[in-house]
Amino acid sequence: MSTRRRRADGGVAYLDVQGTLRERTVDALRDRTLRGNLDTAATSWGESRDAMREGYGLDDMRERAREIRRSNIRNLPALLAEMQANVREAGGTVVRAADGAEACRYITGLARARGVKVVAKSKSMATEEIKLNEALQDAGIEVVETDLGEWILQLANEHPSHIIAPAVHLNREQVAALFREEAGTDEVPDDREGLVAHARVRLREKFAEAGIGVSGVNLGVASTGTVCVVENEGNARLVTSQPRIHVAVMGMERVVADWDEAAHILQVLPMAAIGQDAANYVNLITGPRREGESDGPEEFHLVIIDGGRGALRGTEFEEALSCIRCGACLYSCPMWRSVGGQAYGSPYSGPIGAVITPLLEGPSSPASRDLPFMSSLCGACGEACPVGIPLQDLLVRARARSSSPATRASGLAFRAWSRLWRRPGTYRAWMAGWRLMLRARGKDGWATDLPGPGAGWTQVRDMPTKWPPRR
Amino acid sequence: MSTAAVGDPLVDLLLESLTRRKATGQVVQPGDAGRAAARWMADAGVARAVLAGDPLVDRIGLADALRREGIDVLTWPTGLGKRESMGLEGPIDVCGVTVPARAVAERGTVVLEASAGHGRGLDVTSRHHVALLPADRIVRTLGEALALTYADGRAAPSAVSLVSGPSRSSDIEKISTLGAHGALTEHVVIIR
Repeated sequence: MSTRRRRADGGVAYLDVQGTLRERTVDALRDRTLRGNLDTAATSWGESRDAMREGYGLDDMRERAREIRRSNIRNLPALLAEMQANVREAGGTVVRAADGAEACRYITGLARARGVKVVAKSKSMATEEIKLNEALQDAGIEVVETDLGEWILQLANEHPSHIIAPAVHLNREQVAALFREEAGTDEVPDDREGLVAHARVRLREKFAEAGIGVSGVNLGVASTGTVCVVENEGNARLVTSQPRIHVAVMGMERVVADWDEAAHILQVLPMAAIGQDAANYVNLITGPRREGESDGPEEFHLVIIDGGRGALRGTEFEEALSCIRCGACLYSCPMWRSVGGQAYGSPYSGPIGAVITPLLEGPSSPASRDLPFMSSLCGACGEACPVGIPLQDLLVRARARSSSPATRASGLAFRAWSRLWRRPGTYRAWMAGWRLMLRARGKDGWATDLPGPGAGWTQVRDMPTKWPPRR
Repeated sequence: MSTAAVGDPLVDLLLESLTRRKATGQVVQPGDAGRAAARWMADAGVARAVLAGDPLVDRIGLADALRREGIDVLTWPTGLGKRESMGLEGPIDVCGVTVPARAVAERGTVVLEASAGHGRGLDVTSRHHVALLPADRIVRTLGEALALTYADGRAAPSAVSLVSGPSRSSDIEKISTLGAHGALTEHVVIIR
């Protein structure tokens, strides 16, 4: 089982990440298998996604999705109050948790009080954020991730690499090896169908044992108090219908007003996430089982997490709350496509992760301060976002927030440099000096080791000493 | 028995969408529905059918048709123990037979509402899923379907499942593989 540590301060970034962001990035870039796996994934996503834009007018659907989500965030307190009242009306319990620690305390307390030994989970970013698995394990409760990708990672003792496709960085051979180890036998098939069938049976055993099912929430619908759990495998339905207790964990920003809005977002989500016009299963749950029904949980608990979200309303980062966690900005990001999610050291990777991780953690957190710099600001994320979050602008603002203000000395240096380059005479003199220096340091037409401001360049690539460069 | 669509645009659209979702569908007259559904299950190698407790199932005489095919028949609620109802004991080739409240033609989606006769796990715990769908329950868009399900003045069902094709996972190498946790096959019998 997991040896991952849990942080006491309720932060978002993982505690067990090794090295600095820069070191992790360099390691990821050197991993050729990872690059190949990420390329395959991002390319196939891109193709399906283009089909959605042409065949379904995804770009036009985006405007309405953006309006819906902006209005949801504006009216958040009222929508949450309505949601809460309707869940209670339907016989469910609602808990508002100020942070992850509070949410974890409630859920572990519930498991203890009901004598639950095994918890089955379906994929949820919110529980990854609050580190629920670690909290339950610390309390001596077995946690089983039942989404195939998440289970693979649990066996590998790794963090998810992508919001939607968590194990996207592993290939079939790597998965087969993990299954053999878990089952303690070599009798595990190594074709894809065989691996999926193997996992199906192993996980059914866990479903039969579990006393609590924990799911995330893609959308909460305030008008009826319904939670929507979107999935393709069927494990979330099992999680929400088989154990005696269902606990749904929802970030407070996930709520929409009514079914008209929900219908629109529920269609945009799979198109943006996986390039499909529908998810295979959408589970719409309104409270526990009713009188006369013979399956479904006897208890339904909705845990709504603030975790720093509420404080973002009314700030220049408010639009980040519109996110529907589809993962489109990850696949579209040239940075993410090169290094994958794990280098980010946070459950939320890619452009949206680089914006919200430091926001939820607070500006001084060393674990996430540098994340907004994991971007070339090319704007592909903003273009891919199905709810129109201007991610590239938010990244720039997040950079400003996490950078220390300019010192007097650096201000003077930039002013001097600007003065030098604005006058043709001094500019030409500068360039002549630079060329001389290049020729002096260079060898065979290439400089490989420049001093001063040039060092940052030659650390990662050579500079030609004349133009056009020698091949 | 007709296996081709006969001119109803919503039926045609639903059949087309089901194909895209890797499900199958057929159109039958009410008098043929029981026999057609039983035939499909026999061909799929089904050993046991778990039927939704719904008047439609009785009307089309499904239980008798299944028994004639040599298929074991149970009706929801089955009273089976947890392990057997999850397919860990008893026959493996179980088929859950549902009666959708609605279907979405554009997306190939059937809308299953939980009730005393219709378990939440009926389709997803089984290896196969057959949905018996009266043609007049087909609407075009998801928005229309949800507006009907959650209409004002109607109590929201405790659980509603939108099912669009067999269970699928792309978690290994991003390639879609069927039968991850839920049903490996889905067949919709459209009755008109």
